Amino acid sequence: MASGALSQELGSVGLAARIRGRPVVVAIVGLVVLAAVALAGVGLGSVRISPADTIAVILWRAFGIDLGATWAPPTEVIVWELRLPRVLTAMVIGGGLAVAGATFQGLLRNPLADPFVLGTSSGAALGAAIAILLPVDIAILAFGLLHALAFGGALLAAFVVFRLGGAGGPGALTRLLLTGYAIGSVLAALLTMAMYVSGSDLRQIFSFLLGGLAGASWPRLVVAAPLIIVSCALIVARSRALDGLLLGDSAARHLGVDVRRERGILLALASMATAAGVAISGLIGFVGLVVPHLVRLLVGPSARRVLPISAIVGAALLVAADLGARLAGDVPVGVVMALVGAPFFLYLLGRTRSGYEL
Amino acid sequence: MTIEPILAAEGVTLAYGSRSIVTDANLAIGAGERIAIVGPNGAGKSTFLRALTGVLTPRAGNVRLCGASIATVDRMVVARTIAVVPELAQLPFAMPVDEVVALGRLPHEPPISGLRPSDRAAVVAAIERVGVGQLRRRDARELSMGERQLVFIAVAVAQAASILVLDEPTAHLDIRHQVEVMELLRDLNERDGTTIVAVLHDLALAAHFFPRIVVMDGGRIVADGPPAATLDEAHIRGVFGVDPALVRLPAGAA
Amino acid sequence: MPSPFRRLPAVLFLLFTLVVAACTGGGSTSIPPEATGAIASVLTGTPAPSDAPSAAPSAATFPLAVTDDEGAAVEIATRPTKIVSLTPAVTETLFAIGAGDRVVATDDSSDFPKEAAPLPDVATFSSVDVEKIVNLDADLVIAGGHGFSPAESIAKLRALKIPVLVLYAGSVDGVYHDIELVGTAVGNGPEATTVTAGMRPQIDAISAAAKGSGAPPRVDYEVGYTEGTGQIYVAGDKSFLAEMVTLAGGTPIVGDPVTYEIPLETLIERDPQVIILGVNPFYSPTPAQVAKRAGWSVMTAVKDGQIRPVRDIEITRPGPRLAIGLRNLTAAIWPDLALPSGP
Repeated sequence: MASGALSQELGSVGLAARIRGRPVVVAIVGLVVLAAVALAGVGLGSVRISPADTIAVILWRAFGIDLGATWAPPTEVIVWELRLPRVLTAMVIGGGLAVAGATFQGLLRNPLADPFVLGTSSGAALGAAIAILLPVDIAILAFGLLHALAFGGALLAAFVVFRLGGAGGPGALTRLLLTGYAIGSVLAALLTMAMYVSGSDLRQIFSFLLGGLAGASWPRLVVAAPLIIVSCALIVARSRALDGLLLGDSAARHLGVDVRRERGILLALASMATAAGVAISGLIGFVGLVVPHLVRLLVGPSARRVLPISAIVGAALLVAADLGARLAGDVPVGVVMALVGAPFFLYLLGRTRSGYEL
Repeated sequence: MTIEPILAAEGVTLAYGSRSIVTDANLAIGAGERIAIVGPNGAGKSTFLRALTGVLTPRAGNVRLCGASIATVDRMVVARTIAVVPELAQLPFAMPVDEVVALGRLPHEPPISGLRPSDRAAVVAAIERVGVGQLRRRDARELSMGERQLVFIAVAVAQAASILVLDEPTAHLDIRHQVEVMELLRDLNERDGTTIVAVLHDLALAAHFFPRIVVMDGGRIVADGPPAATLDEAHIRGVFGVDPALVRLPAGAA
Repeated sequence: MPSPFRRLPAVLFLLFTLVVAACTGGGSTSIPPEATGAIASVLTGTPAPSDAPSAAPSAATFPLAVTDDEGAAVEIATRPTKIVSLTPAVTETLFAIGAGDRVVATDDSSDFPKEAAPLPDVATFSSVDVEKIVNLDADLVIAGGHGFSPAESIAKLRALKIPVLVLYAGSVDGVYHDIELVGTAVGNGPEATTVTAGMRPQIDAISAAAKGSGAPPRVDYEVGYTEGTGQIYVAGDKSFLAEMVTLAGGTPIVGDPVTYEIPLETLIERDPQVIILGVNPFYSPTPAQVAKRAGWSVMTAVKDGQIRPVRDIEITRPGPRLAIGLRNLTAAIWPDLALPSGP
């Protein structure tokens, strides 16, 4: 048997060491970390609240358990109305974006894909900008025009891109990506125009672009969470199709995957999860692109493992980043994530010899 | 009494727009047969193969799998019955070989829970059978073309289907590995009863290892039978346009 | 991305990303001219604004409902005792009308009066700390409109049932209106009316004197300048600042209503006769520096040496010290004018 070059053998030892990690262990560690950062997220903030009070408030409001402790009314509002929904929203959106990112990467067979690759970010931002500029002020169930148009804009952009670029055949994926880029550019140009004429509303549009979890609240969580969680669950149930696509369209077809149908369904589900997240939190980058790669470095590329663990890691990452952003004086959360996460990811990449050649 | 062929093409015509690729092809493949399809470039062999495996819908004619029109058979059932060695594709992510081969179990594994012990055993068996055991934990993207080709054959072997279809499976292999693959195919066929349908470009190998050769030329099947009859001087000169002396054929049937 | 996002001193960042001179809707437009993003370290002595009148406790009736400057109906159930001010102008107003003892927190740029300095900060120019406001048990928050206070923070506070009054004075009349609105909201209506009643005649008198001095000169009120690129920022078209210049007896040379920029060629073409430099801790050029700028020597104001700095704060802050600001501005445009006595 012709053996590979010696250098190949050496390099693969490093990669094998990475991939050897058992997924169950990684998942459990991830859950523990998630619980820890979530607790920290609820317990810490710009106002100091003792851990005992935090726990007492949560037990009381969530389960009706009275530990006999007393706390000032503002404490209860801060813990229950401000911090807890924010942490939970961060978990749901972080997990949703990570799953969506992993899905897009697998669907498009492109490691550089992220949840916004089909123009969803530009669509959402333009929708939000239009909502901000319109002199209309409606709110239904704590959702204003902003959320509705951001959500609608994201989905509409994804739909248009898929229709324009989605036919099968050779080069289909490249065409889809390029269509996403083109549509995204058009929408971004319109967005820039909207910002240019926006006057005092510019600040609000800009803060949407930066992304953040300040808009989190119980009513919004109750509506968005099921959307995101159900979409992600349905994606995970289709892990087999995602795995099949790894070898290419024709191989997937021969393995029994209905490529056109699965691609459409998975794109729709991933876009739905992304749109629901973006409507609440604006554009939060980095999670959808980097977390799946990080997880693959640990447990290999099989979607059945990557998707759930990406959800856990993505949730923990966004909760931790939001906490850091709050404690650092309300810095935009995307900035914190990139500043902390990118160097760490580069370090991990450096340890993997084979890297990610395209 | 005629036995129902396991896979059959009846009057199949395939065309792209106005361009006809395959015209009126008839082929009946019995269970347990070992068939090689040969022909010059552009004869329509790969296209014909795609119709046989249910990927392309014929403009005219029909393809039957175990008697039923293949278009009506459920995708997953087709995948469990016909295994096609994947084209050499670029993997987007790093993937160890045993996970690549595990993809062959896709048509069998339960959708939610994934690989069962029996699936894992089949994967290991396929890897050993094809002879790439020492590559098990290597990143498939780092393998040489030949090694990757063997791994992809292992994927199809892991699929444990009744029919194994290969399109030029030895294109990147040296002669020793080409022979090894041919012997593997013969072994799968004779020991396990797997039906083999392979498009080959090497006439000598085809004649040596395959008891039935189908010759295609210009979209039509021009010969179908044992090598002595189908790869005779007339066909070699007429279809392939070369001096028959250049092609060394075995003295008798394989 | 256009220039508004360059990194400039905080004053420019504020002006460009917080403030607008949008021309939609045809209403009077302008800026809450809040430039400083930090507390000025030294307050040059200026007389205190009109004193709060003797406090006969006003018999205000609560609960009441008012409409804020963004058209929102705000209900205030009881007389507010824990007021949070999110703009420096509102802070000044609250103290001027005698409600200063009920202010529990301000934003970080509220620097006047000095009693306001030790109050805790719950807002910066980019964010509002909702947790801290909740923790203080605030029962009224007064915020800045047109994007000065982030809309989502306002929404969040309202969702937590804390009344939020959003103010935006786009004109001098708007300033009077806002002072009186604050007075009503905190139960010090009569005191607020007294304050505005003191401001109006002063402002009218100064303006009359200024306009009576002669033909209004062309005035370039410079709020910012970038050394490297030579970008010039002046009073925006139809802005509050432009109105102040007009009241001070000048003809303002205006820039883009949103970005406040004016190209150098346009400025040269408009040919200012007086250049006023709005000076604050973040921007303090000297007339000599201005005169040396490339291409500026052709302007009448530079040739005649009519470049004068002026304290920016009272001119651009829509609060009770507006009369002082107008006085300073008028004195800068008409240095030889004898102004009526006043604050």
